[in-house]
Amino acid sequence: MNRALLRVSLACLAMFVLLLVNINYVQAFKASKLAAEPGNIRVFDQQFSYQRGAIIAAGDGTDLKIAESRLIKGTNTYRRYYPQGNVYAPVTGYDTIYSKSGIEAADNDLLAGTSPQLAVHNLTSLLTGKQKQGATVELTVSPAAQSAAYGALASDGGHAAAVVAIQPSTGAILALASYPSFDPNELTTFDGVALNKVDHRLLADPAQPLLNRATQETYPPGSSFKIVTSSAAYSQGLVNNPNSLVNAPEPLHLPNGHDLINDGGEICGDGHPAIIQAFLLSCNTAFGDLGMKLKAPTLRKYSSQYGMNRPLSIPLPVVPSVLPKVNGWTDPSLTAFSAIGQFSDEVTPLQEALFSAAVANHGTLMYPHLVQQVVGPGLSVIQRTNPQVLSQAVSPTVASYLASMMSEVTHNPSGTAFATAGPQATGGINIDGKTGTAQNGLDNGNLDDAVFTCFVPGINGQSSPIAVGVIVQGGGFGADAAAPIAVRVIKAYLGAHS
Amino acid sequence: MLGFALAVVLFAYSAVGLGLKGKLPPGLPVQLLVFAVLMLAAHLVVRRFAPHADPLLLPLAGLLNGLGLVMIYRLVQSGRNGNHGLQVTDMSTSATTTQLLYTGIGILAMVAVILLISEARVLQRYTYTLGALGLVLFALPALLPASHSVVNGAKVWIIFGGFSVEPGEFARLALAVFFAGYLVAKRDALALAGNRVLGVDLPRARDLGPVLLAWAASLMILIFETDVGASALFFGMFIAMLYIATQRTSWLLLGVLLFLAGSWLTALLFHHVMERFTIWLHPFQGSNPTGIAFQPVQALEGMAFGGLFGTGLGQGQPYHTPLVQSDFIFSAFGEELGLVGVMALLLVFGLLVQRGLRAALAVKDPFSKLLVGGLSFVLALQVFVIVGGVSGLIPLTGVTTPLLSQGGSSLVASWILIGLLIRVSDSARKPAPQPIQDEGMTQVVRAA
Repeated sequence: MNRALLRVSLACLAMFVLLLVNINYVQAFKASKLAAEPGNIRVFDQQFSYQRGAIIAAGDGTDLKIAESRLIKGTNTYRRYYPQGNVYAPVTGYDTIYSKSGIEAADNDLLAGTSPQLAVHNLTSLLTGKQKQGATVELTVSPAAQSAAYGALASDGGHAAAVVAIQPSTGAILALASYPSFDPNELTTFDGVALNKVDHRLLADPAQPLLNRATQETYPPGSSFKIVTSSAAYSQGLVNNPNSLVNAPEPLHLPNGHDLINDGGEICGDGHPAIIQAFLLSCNTAFGDLGMKLKAPTLRKYSSQYGMNRPLSIPLPVVPSVLPKVNGWTDPSLTAFSAIGQFSDEVTPLQEALFSAAVANHGTLMYPHLVQQVVGPGLSVIQRTNPQVLSQAVSPTVASYLASMMSEVTHNPSGTAFATAGPQATGGINIDGKTGTAQNGLDNGNLDDAVFTCFVPGINGQSSPIAVGVIVQGGGFGADAAAPIAVRVIKAYLGAHS
Repeated sequence: MLGFALAVVLFAYSAVGLGLKGKLPPGLPVQLLVFAVLMLAAHLVVRRFAPHADPLLLPLAGLLNGLGLVMIYRLVQSGRNGNHGLQVTDMSTSATTTQLLYTGIGILAMVAVILLISEARVLQRYTYTLGALGLVLFALPALLPASHSVVNGAKVWIIFGGFSVEPGEFARLALAVFFAGYLVAKRDALALAGNRVLGVDLPRARDLGPVLLAWAASLMILIFETDVGASALFFGMFIAMLYIATQRTSWLLLGVLLFLAGSWLTALLFHHVMERFTIWLHPFQGSNPTGIAFQPVQALEGMAFGGLFGTGLGQGQPYHTPLVQSDFIFSAFGEELGLVGVMALLLVFGLLVQRGLRAALAVKDPFSKLLVGGLSFVLALQVFVIVGGVSGLIPLTGVTTPLLSQGGSSLVASWILIGLLIRVSDSARKPAPQPIQDEGMTQVVRAA
């Protein structure tokens, strides 16, 4: 019988080996996949049982806490608080028991302390018995600029709008506001039923408060796109300098039999103005004509050099701003509209800021980013963002031509934004910009969107401190609705940094 | 060895208190003292009455029993006495004391086995008595009304007053004796007679009788008592013993085929058996994680949460898993002791089985060999079925984890099994008796 017994022993050994292999599979190999299963109660409970890292707006040199976890008295549970509520909601996002958004989602592994970068720290606290803690995420956002941005949007008569401010030399985002916004504090409750109620109310709200318009919504850029068309025209040699003459008939007859007209049917100079003249008056026919000569693929190439036609991660996800290859996009008659920021052109408010940022930084577009550095629980810096070049939009020479044209828009009494962003309006601050009044909707039936992109040129060879992009949905004229918002943001930022 | 096992239990027990409240548990001295006294008493009995027994058996079993007690204590404390976590609702506050009481009864039963049965083979006399007893014990819950036999959907209990027994645990032991006795008597016929077909020795039709009977009986358990686990263990034990007795692979093949046929048939016939397969294959699909697969999903997520080193005793959340104190206690160990902890537990079980099989190999008497071989195998099979089920290796069937799970019947039956192992290992390792005659002495005749 011993031979059979030995075989039975082998069978027993095999069973134990199988069990050992399987528990290794479950507890080591598959553990992180199981932890990520939706509805994992343990992971869910654990995420509120230790202090999640804070989010800080550090752009003004002083730290402003915009998200932090506080211990609920008499419990072991931490609850998330957003001391600045609506103002920073598009940046922080929310951290509910079910889901996350904004920085809370994008940098969750750091805030939660689960990032591999925090592994050493976690191991030490395991050994020393200290509680696990998340890392603090310090943002580039300037509290002065951000509160001015939200305040300006909120006081603009209830239009949906967004504004983004960027430091052109680094890509650091100084302000990112969207209106209407929501109060993330409402979403931090542990009561699932109450949370569902708030969630349903916010989702059902026609004003779409949860939508981050700065990064997640696109609008036609309108005349602000003439920056891209001009860039292509200079770079391709269609015009040599700002005083080169361009063709600006009224109206511009298109190959498909339709006409392209200037705003209000006004004549653009003598019909053959210098490009700088056409730019400050924002003549449609001049840039429509240039666009037809450049052709759609060239326009698209330059739009890509300004950061369009690709998604960005700042690290919030940013939907692509596009000059899309839709049906018939190479048709010259439609390209004339593309060249003035109409037809299928769509951009985010962030993209508006990038147009000016590239010009302000001598043609070099820096990758926009929100996170300045991440500080571990032991106050050691575990991640620091180094400015990176996104692309070379135009040469420094072309950038200087563009800057001089944008300067005329606000400094020449005939410029479209002279009244609202000129030296008198800004109290002496130099702002160079470009307005846009974008027709939109089916058959352009909606109210025009007001668009403004601008920057403050650097003085005495210093780099430009700030570039701003604004889009006010249904705001009307860019100069009237959008430019004042940009001016307020710039004033507040320069005021805090003088 | 025993001292080492006790020390491990002491540390684990203290760890629970530290993990829960940051201080030593208040009942520590009393409960641990009782356990230590029980184990030491058992040790002395073994030393005195089975001096040649394998010295590892008692410490290994004691270690598992002690750790089971610790985990039960920890689960009782959850959500009670100001401790964090949720209450394990179907556990009474006195569960630790009750389990300690059953430990005492189990050790007494083991001592009784060692004292009353001087040699395992004396049991051979009671082959048919125990066989009949085993069948009655198995059948009893099926015959009783549901109010006296059903707990958590399994009709495997005898409940009278506040007292409940799971007779199947004891029936398995009685039937092991019966199988051993029967097979030793009939093994030659079973092993040798038969026709060779396609290179496989097929048994004679009339010898098939007992096999089919065992198969039918296990199906009966499955159908009338809705207990897949017990049925699998019963049949598995029978087939293993049949194979050991006859050494014929054909029996093994036949057994496996019958088992597969039975599983397939019952899966088709019974919704709850089919459901087990669904849960096993798709635990995370659709509404399964919150519905029919809630329990195994909780167990898997708990074990994954424990990871390599575990959360530490008292610091995990094993209370989310329903029945974590009995069928799923292994997942609680996985969560709080981690991969290293449960690997150690499995090795302890493996060692226990190995010592049993070793005794079976060494012992000369075929009845004892067969009995202990079968019992060791069924111990391994039981661990495989429940741990494999909890960790998702095989479809889940509700059997207890030997020596660890809460539950008196299983614990007492396990200790009786350990008693039999100790008894047989004593026989196996006993040195050959001295010759009675001393020729040198007897032949001395001194003529004075």
